[in-house]
Amino acid sequence: MLEFLFNPMHQGWIVQGLFLTVEITLFGVLLGLGLGTLLAIGDIYGKKPVKAAIAVYVEIFRGSPLFVQLFLAVYTVPTILNLQIDHAILAFLVFGLNSAGYQKGYVKGAMETILDDQMQAGLSTGMSKIQTLRYVILPQAYRIVIPSWTNEFCSLTKSTATLGYLGFMDLVGAGLAIKGSNYEILPVWIVIGAIYFVWITGFAKIMDVIYEKKRIPGVELAMQS
Amino acid sequence: MADFVMEARNVYKTYSIKKIKKGDAACNVPVKHQVEAVKNVSLQIRKGDIKLIFGPSGSGKSTFLRCMAMLDIPDKGEIYLGDECLTAPGADLNKARARIGFVFQHIYLFRHLTALGNVELALRQVLKLPKEEARKRALDALNEVKVSDCINKYPAQMSGGQAQRVGIARAIARNPDIILLDEPTSALDPELTGEVIDTLRDLAKEGTTMLIVSHEMPFAREVAEEMIFYDEGKVVETGPPSLFFNAPNTDRAKQFMTRIINRTTRE
Repeated sequence: MLEFLFNPMHQGWIVQGLFLTVEITLFGVLLGLGLGTLLAIGDIYGKKPVKAAIAVYVEIFRGSPLFVQLFLAVYTVPTILNLQIDHAILAFLVFGLNSAGYQKGYVKGAMETILDDQMQAGLSTGMSKIQTLRYVILPQAYRIVIPSWTNEFCSLTKSTATLGYLGFMDLVGAGLAIKGSNYEILPVWIVIGAIYFVWITGFAKIMDVIYEKKRIPGVELAMQS
Repeated sequence: MADFVMEARNVYKTYSIKKIKKGDAACNVPVKHQVEAVKNVSLQIRKGDIKLIFGPSGSGKSTFLRCMAMLDIPDKGEIYLGDECLTAPGADLNKARARIGFVFQHIYLFRHLTALGNVELALRQVLKLPKEEARKRALDALNEVKVSDCINKYPAQMSGGQAQRVGIARAIARNPDIILLDEPTSALDPELTGEVIDTLRDLAKEGTTMLIVSHEMPFAREVAEEMIFYDEGKVVETGPPSLFFNAPNTDRAKQFMTRIINRTTRE
């Protein structure tokens, strides 16, 4: 039943798939955080047209299926523009842009809980708005965001399963390829599912530990509310 | 060379707040409400001056003080820091604020930094001091306000009085031209106000230029050269403490002083 696991070629596919899944999610979620932070700052401090543009951006990425976004980015747009770009890079960009749409909300929410007094305090010491964001607001906002960010990571990792059906060799792609070699399909998917489970749970646990470590001493639950 | 360390000329500030109009419980409508917090206020401060603004709560004292530091931008009028007009277009407000110390009523320490980190941050980022020098100056400032025992504590681990003294250290560490203090003791337990007042008294002895919003009357009497009675967005009366403690000219000030002195003696 599990003999496919002992086939070196299949092992290779699974390792390759895991590698792609991990790579795309990690880079995607980090790009999402960086871009989401810029969007959050733009949404708080930007002029009306900036805010409107950000709102349109967020609604497009939140409101349409990831599958459609991926399909357009990987197949349609490069064909129209006649571009030769690595599919993995395009997929990674789509996940980052998509995740930014969600993460903007988390970061903005976290910033708003601390912005009022901490920004004034920063400005009063002679720091600029940007310095205060960099040294005072964001270090605190990122601490608050860690649990939401962990959820985003879990959710994004599973969203990458779409890639297999678009011809990528991610974990699901590896599963599909093994299935093609006439194995019983259920054990294959159970093994693939277990790999996702271990990776996601392990990473989430690490984030939980980081969250505890980064807790501001003396501030118990107040920061989370 | 300007005569004044800081000067406010005919400053106005109105802000709007949303008030819930009580009506049908199901449809309370927020109504915009204009507050004229500062109406044509002028003030001059010379080097070494200690001036104290007092008056009923909600009269706009804090807004005026925040206008002085350009944390609120006045609608009209000018703020001068030395020769520099801060309300002029293109004025470098960050640079100006680096020369003004500000102490907040609700303290507003950076919550993710230790006492030392709170004081050091602007020394490093604004004055661009090298690490060792910033540390030394921060420690000196913390020492001066007598909180050397909690340099490694975070704001949430300090008492209100300690935190406010760290707030004062953060304001003085840059050697500002003037320190603005917005009711520095009113958010503290009565037991803790004493230690903050002692710190302010020390600063006064050193000749620090200060503009303080406060109702600590014994302290005012002791250190203030001038007291400014502020009500409904205006300066109602100014004079030395002796004037207010004996016989203020305006009825409004008389009334207010009577109430404050009664309260103080009852305590």
